Amino acid sequence: MKKIWKGLLVTALTASMLAGCGNAGSQPGNAEGEGGAPGAAKSVKLKMFIAQPRLKEHYDKYIADFVAKEKAEKNIDVSVQLEMPTADNAAQILKTRLASNDAPDIFALHAINEIPSYYKAGYLEDLSDQPFVGKLLDSVKPSVTTTDGKVVAVPLETLSWGYLYNKTIFADLGMTPPTTITEMKAVIEKLKANHITPFVLSYKEAWIPQLVLPLAAGALINTENADFIERMNKDEGSFTEMKAMFDIFDLINANGTEKATEVGGDDGAAAFAAGKGAMWLQGPWYAETILKSNPEMDFGVAPLPINDNPEATLINLSASTSLAVSKSSGNKEVALDFINYVLDDQASGGFFQALKFNPISTVHTYDSYPWVNDATVFVKEGKSYQDPAIPQSVKDEVGKGLQAYYAGQMSQDDVLQALDKAWKSFNKVNK
Amino acid sequence: MPVKSYKKYVSLFGFVAPAFVLYAVFLLIPTIGGMYYSFTDWNGLNRSYEFIGFGNFAEALSEDPDFIGSLWFTLKYVLFMIVLQNVFALALAVFIESRRRSKGFFRTVFFMPNMISTIISAFMWTFVFAQVLPQLAEKTAIAFLDQAWIGDPNVSFYSILIVSLWNGVGYMMIIYLAGLQGVPQSLKEAALIDGATPLQTFRNVTLPMITHAITICFFLTLNGAFKVFEVVYGLTGGGPGRSTQVITMNIYEEAFSNNFRYGYASAKSVILFVIILIFTFIQIRVMKKREVEA
Repeated sequence: MKKIWKGLLVTALTASMLAGCGNAGSQPGNAEGEGGAPGAAKSVKLKMFIAQPRLKEHYDKYIADFVAKEKAEKNIDVSVQLEMPTADNAAQILKTRLASNDAPDIFALHAINEIPSYYKAGYLEDLSDQPFVGKLLDSVKPSVTTTDGKVVAVPLETLSWGYLYNKTIFADLGMTPPTTITEMKAVIEKLKANHITPFVLSYKEAWIPQLVLPLAAGALINTENADFIERMNKDEGSFTEMKAMFDIFDLINANGTEKATEVGGDDGAAAFAAGKGAMWLQGPWYAETILKSNPEMDFGVAPLPINDNPEATLINLSASTSLAVSKSSGNKEVALDFINYVLDDQASGGFFQALKFNPISTVHTYDSYPWVNDATVFVKEGKSYQDPAIPQSVKDEVGKGLQAYYAGQMSQDDVLQALDKAWKSFNKVNK
Repeated sequence: MPVKSYKKYVSLFGFVAPAFVLYAVFLLIPTIGGMYYSFTDWNGLNRSYEFIGFGNFAEALSEDPDFIGSLWFTLKYVLFMIVLQNVFALALAVFIESRRRSKGFFRTVFFMPNMISTIISAFMWTFVFAQVLPQLAEKTAIAFLDQAWIGDPNVSFYSILIVSLWNGVGYMMIIYLAGLQGVPQSLKEAALIDGATPLQTFRNVTLPMITHAITICFFLTLNGAFKVFEVVYGLTGGGPGRSTQVITMNIYEEAFSNNFRYGYASAKSVILFVIILIFTFIQIRVMKKREVEA
């Protein structure tokens, strides 16, 4: 009999323990303790959530510097609890945290895809009057600014991209990246005459064909169709206005490698590195993979021409990973200190260089990679635009639609209709 | 006697509780929660959401061609899997049972793929389909092998079947093997003496005697095939487009990409749950009737 009671007790304990998991740490930032006596250091526990485990050592080092600085300047003992899940399920974990009132003080999120919905749900602190805002480059600032003009995050990772081209092949044939679609056709003819496949195609993963939409839409929005996004958000526009994107997409497909729907991103990178195609519709985020398979590879980033207007041949500039401060944080002061420290006049340059991120601020003066410089040249000439705010669900849809279009299962009109429908349902769900 | 029965329940509870608590916390409560959310328009992030009754269910069944498309695709897959998986598994089991010395060897070899996780075998086969087979076609000039195995929607259905079968047949085979070993030798000998051919013996003696194994295998295949995810995810990702998208992927897409409509995705899950429930219920009812005792 005694044993049974023991068993029951253990069970009950286990149950209460499990139940306890749900509530643990429901008060964010349970710090501010000990303090009290004048002169004694205040201690603060800061929770951070950054989904980039591959860069852990750099973050750890930078955080250690920050801790030392807080101790020296403000006599605050900061202990940082850094959580780094893999990128795949980070959004999931973060959402659970936020929904269960267990928000980290500082968390990373995707500037274009996530800021709008997180801001709308009321999780992001307004950072507009923080000192770091003044240091941001003008071209970067819009990506972390909400529709009502508030800066809510500090961008870490930015991307400037169009398509990648093999500089060696282009130099051998005496060519430069084309600025109009007619020039692009000439380039393709010349490559074909030299028995080089113009494009590497890799459409197994839906997000790769998807890339053509931000490029085409961005270019059109910045030249002839400025209010496309606003009208789409009001259910007044239609993707038939973007039909021009098929001109370049068809051209790429007609001159690309075979069996594209079997080739994923990594295989595409290997094929591009091996010189199986002179160009690849892809961003520089594959630089590391390309160099891994061919360290000698010399490639550049160029803007994709989508029609015969050279003004529409622009680089896409967008921010991805950005740091935001939780609205419910109990340690806002220290959290804000850290956010500002990210763009610290002295330390920031080294930090961003170590992370291999592009310069985003006036305090960043380091040398970047050749392909980054390529793109930066265009950006400095003003030949860039802010990544259009196309809802993620529409981007997913366009990837699937273009895959099916490539496989011959959908017509151009089918794809455009599906996109209109996706945007309409986005409006419906997010009204 | 009431005291005694009370004691009985206490010890029953004592034994069941540890497993039941875990089951309830990690499965039962989330399931009920999911059903609850299926009646809301929660998006997984907002703190507030509204009750919309059967709105999600109505939308899924009437206004969502992608969901219906994935439903039909899954049904087609289920049908092929039930037939092929069981035919292959039974054939292999009979074959192995007929061996005298190499029994253990064959049993191990055919069961082996089952020990590899499904997602890993899907990635292995992606490599086979995308790299090995085209190379093989080039070297041996067997044009048939040079197909867009996972890129062409017409072919990729069969590629998915091949990998699922490769992975799943071994497990069913073990169950059939056990069933076959349970068939009393005396019955077979009696049939032999009565002049039955091996085929007749198999049809009229062996098959009825292993109906319970068939019931289990059909149940497992039916259940598993409806919930297929990893194989399709690893091989085609549902693509190109949505041509090989199964229900579970459609649900996943609805909840974790697209518009993050958790409520709507939960409603779809509940629909899937009901479908599986109905199908397996009918299957068990029909097949239980046919079982015989030795």
